[in-house]
Amino acid sequence: MLLNRETSGTRWRVRPDGPPKVTGRLAYLTDMSVPGMLHGMVLRSPYPHARIVSIRTEKALAMKGVHAVLTCEDVPGLNRFGIAHPDHPVFCEDRVRFVGDAVAAVAAETAELAAEALKRIEVEYEPLPVVDDPEFALRDDAPRLHEHGNVLHRNDYAFGDVEEAFRACAHIVEETYSTPRQMHVYMETEGGLFVPEADGRLTVYSPTQHGLMDRMQLARILNRPEADIRVVSSPIGGSFGGKDELNVQPYGSLLALATGRPVKLHNSRFESVRAGLKRHPMRITMRTGTDASGKLLAHRVRVVSDAGPYSTLSAEVLNFAVEHVLGPYRYEAAEVKSVSVFTNNGMSGEFRGFGGNQAIFALEGQMDRLAEKLGMDPWAFRRINLRKPDDPGPLGQPIAPTDGARQVWEALPASRLWREKERAAAEAAPAEPWLKIGYGAAFVMHGAGLGVGIPDPAGGRLTLTPDGKIEAAFGYEEFGQGLIASLEQMLIEQFGFGSADLRIVIGDTDAVPDSGSSTASRSTSMMWQSLRRLRAPFSSRLLGAAAEALRLPADRLRLGEGGIRDAASGELLLAYGRLAELAPEPIVCETSFSYPTSPVERVGSHYLYSYSSVAVKVEVNTLTGRVRLLDQFHAVAAGPVVNPQGYLGQIEGGSGMALGFTLMEDAVMKEGVYLTRNLDTYLIPTIAELRGRFEVLPIEGLPEGDEHGPRGIGEIGSVGLAPAIAQAVYDAVGVRTAKLPIDPEALQAVPDFESEEVEPA
Amino acid sequence: MAMEQKEILRRPSVWQPRDPAEAVRLKEAFGPDAVYVAGSTLLRTQWEAGTAVMPPHLIDLASIPGLAGIAEQDGELVVGSLARLDDCRAHPALADKAPLLVEAIKQIAGRSVRNQATIGGNVVYRVGDAMPALLALDARLDWHDGTGSRTEDVSEWLRAPSAAPRVLTAIRLPIAEDAPTSNARRTFAYHKVGRREAFTPSLVTVAIAAASAADGSIADIRIAAGGGQTVPKRMTRAEDALLGKAPDARLLAAVHEAILEDYVPAPDPFAADSYRKKTAANLVVAALWKTFCRPAEARG
Repeated sequence: MLLNRETSGTRWRVRPDGPPKVTGRLAYLTDMSVPGMLHGMVLRSPYPHARIVSIRTEKALAMKGVHAVLTCEDVPGLNRFGIAHPDHPVFCEDRVRFVGDAVAAVAAETAELAAEALKRIEVEYEPLPVVDDPEFALRDDAPRLHEHGNVLHRNDYAFGDVEEAFRACAHIVEETYSTPRQMHVYMETEGGLFVPEADGRLTVYSPTQHGLMDRMQLARILNRPEADIRVVSSPIGGSFGGKDELNVQPYGSLLALATGRPVKLHNSRFESVRAGLKRHPMRITMRTGTDASGKLLAHRVRVVSDAGPYSTLSAEVLNFAVEHVLGPYRYEAAEVKSVSVFTNNGMSGEFRGFGGNQAIFALEGQMDRLAEKLGMDPWAFRRINLRKPDDPGPLGQPIAPTDGARQVWEALPASRLWREKERAAAEAAPAEPWLKIGYGAAFVMHGAGLGVGIPDPAGGRLTLTPDGKIEAAFGYEEFGQGLIASLEQMLIEQFGFGSADLRIVIGDTDAVPDSGSSTASRSTSMMWQSLRRLRAPFSSRLLGAAAEALRLPADRLRLGEGGIRDAASGELLLAYGRLAELAPEPIVCETSFSYPTSPVERVGSHYLYSYSSVAVKVEVNTLTGRVRLLDQFHAVAAGPVVNPQGYLGQIEGGSGMALGFTLMEDAVMKEGVYLTRNLDTYLIPTIAELRGRFEVLPIEGLPEGDEHGPRGIGEIGSVGLAPAIAQAVYDAVGVRTAKLPIDPEALQAVPDFESEEVEPA
Repeated sequence: MAMEQKEILRRPSVWQPRDPAEAVRLKEAFGPDAVYVAGSTLLRTQWEAGTAVMPPHLIDLASIPGLAGIAEQDGELVVGSLARLDDCRAHPALADKAPLLVEAIKQIAGRSVRNQATIGGNVVYRVGDAMPALLALDARLDWHDGTGSRTEDVSEWLRAPSAAPRVLTAIRLPIAEDAPTSNARRTFAYHKVGRREAFTPSLVTVAIAAASAADGSIADIRIAAGGGQTVPKRMTRAEDALLGKAPDARLLAAVHEAILEDYVPAPDPFAADSYRKKTAANLVVAALWKTFCRPAEARG
């Protein structure tokens, strides 16, 4: 059954944080101000690569109203950050490696004064040759950006004899795919308020996808115990991976501690573009071959990823890409070589899809090209090579078995959109002769969780509070995805609580347990797992205490809206508030576990996967080469739908981002400098692009005995659209696309009116 | 030091002249230290991007009464330079008599910008997306130079813009009435192509205003093309090729060739010139084909 408001019935709920968000009543963290606060700003390098000869701050410091000017000399702890490998300088010492590199920061009484103070910091640079191309960076004669060279990470994987397998191939396709430097474009740019407290602690109000990770990194920079730092991190005005790494927090924290006053920092869009993360541009060369019947024999892949100047999660993204360039298909032999390369381009990092978007665009492109060589229907061709439920994962690792691959494969030809395609030939031609219609489809197998070898804790806590609330505390973040709504819905549906009984606590390191990060499509899965683990102990504690208070056997009681109810009649017997008063001891249950992983050594291997098939219908205007997405269908096999609105929103929102990735988004750089400096040139889709039809079919069934419950859906909607559109464009105008965003010029044709006159429409 | 702080934190002085002559006097007095400001939608993007520095003095043209009206006058539509784009879009006289301009205005920026930006600002920018439409409509411009009013053709303003401190007060559009007894038809077309469907800078804009005679030949035609930083221009070779003829596939192919040569876009970092030339030529011939050649039963 398609997922929408109508089919969801009463499960379609108004999300608790919805009204304050859509009315603008809700204060985001970057909306916060306090009396007496200072305004912080960061001085960033104008050069993509330069040696710092000297930094003089005297003139800025001498300005009235300027309270601090900090440089690398003023960092008490580690002058570096980076979730996986801290090599990103808080303040550069002797060298800048990209146009966002920070050199100094100021705190002043007004934002205008702070801006003026930045101008008075005198930095002498000696420009160095710019390494703006990863292939060039790999050459021996390229300038070395780090002591250990320009290779950030390599990851190779192979099985079978790939040379031998290619020799046996009847058909071989080779192509190089390239993908853009996509920007997250969260509505709320990076920022926050940093408050030195009277007790000596520091409170950081600043969005992040993992408050405890920020706390650890800030403790390292500030050289203070983690317990002296409180990170308040939700609500967040969008993140999509872009705020998982530290951004302004080191500067806000250092300035607040240096001045003893609250400091506010909030990036302008220009600064956000310049300093913020982007999706890794990748060049992926694939050579793939089949036998005469269409069975895949050989697959050779080379991935070159542009990491920009520092590590953040570039190695992990590359590992993810290596897994996903193999994907859901079976080969006789395969060989993947991959490298993530330091350059003087902008910082690349975590972004929804995490390297899967680039990998799967290439892999699905190969499938469509091979099917054509074979003269086969591309969807039927995929079926021949598709994994079976008990097959190992892409890297040969055991994975949780599901039938998702077959299920989404079968759902696509049965969809309204695909049945329409079958009839399309008989239908009327488009209104204008220069408009061409095409259909395309793609298959996605996408891993969730951080993978083998990376600590991936999960957990949560339920408490009956003294004021009679059921408090659910999780270390996850709300960044628009509907996390609070999903948690509330699970508590109502699984325990029987009413929404008024609940208090949800997230995004505050002083108040939440270690639940791990809100990344990698993991939070909803892990909240579901946590509640499953907490359900029996917490329910029995509540019912036990109630039984004692009511002098009734526990099995005559159940949890319900407002309090403990008679199991048979539903009559309210004891309100939660009263239960809290009567309970002999506080009722608190906590669980702590880890995201499930495959029992292998290979770092980054995933264990839980979601599957999706995507079908699209596009219209290409051959006068302008512009592509319109008219209709899309997504089948998603990811276990039960926890929150229908959140599920639909994730697939729709992911698809919208993927449309931008496919048709228009690219943070264009020239010699290490952004040409797209603001949203007037970096264009993302508007409602005008997103008004086509949209259907989502969730496939909820899981194998009997499956213990893992709902799988991640936060990223999968952003992955399959690009290859599906590329194939639909080919179907429409016969032009193959290997580079995103699609270049309209390649799709243009001079209108031929001679033929129109001979055959009037 | 205190003075310096004040200097740093000063806001620009905003001058509010009561008539165009006063505005011109202020501009003459301040020279490069002042700019005229109307909706300021373009200026603010330039100030924010650092491509222009906010000068110490802003001359607020919106304070001059009587410059925002839209009226029919002696066979002309007179659009006050301070008329907001969205007021132009919604004005019944413009919708009726200058639908080409309304079509162009609908596609400028986004709604919130059109609520503030003025038609005069779009003209003074020279590369505004309304300009090809104004060229195709043979618009004239009223300027006040401090002593009196002078009218010039919009083509003259685009060809050789005067740098004199003068204020644009109105845009005049001739009203071309169809002769009630003839079978002549007036048609128009406007197309804008950017890198997305809405709220986008243009890469290519084309505007066509044409009249066909009873025999199906083209009695009158003006084709203008612009886009991005390209100063819009009439496509005179294409016009000459079409005038007096009834377009067919062969003629359209010649028009296509003519536009590829006539249309010279100013460089854009996000689109190749070859793409923009092809787009302009394709859009023009497709519009002509729809109007003059498409089999009648297919005309919607």
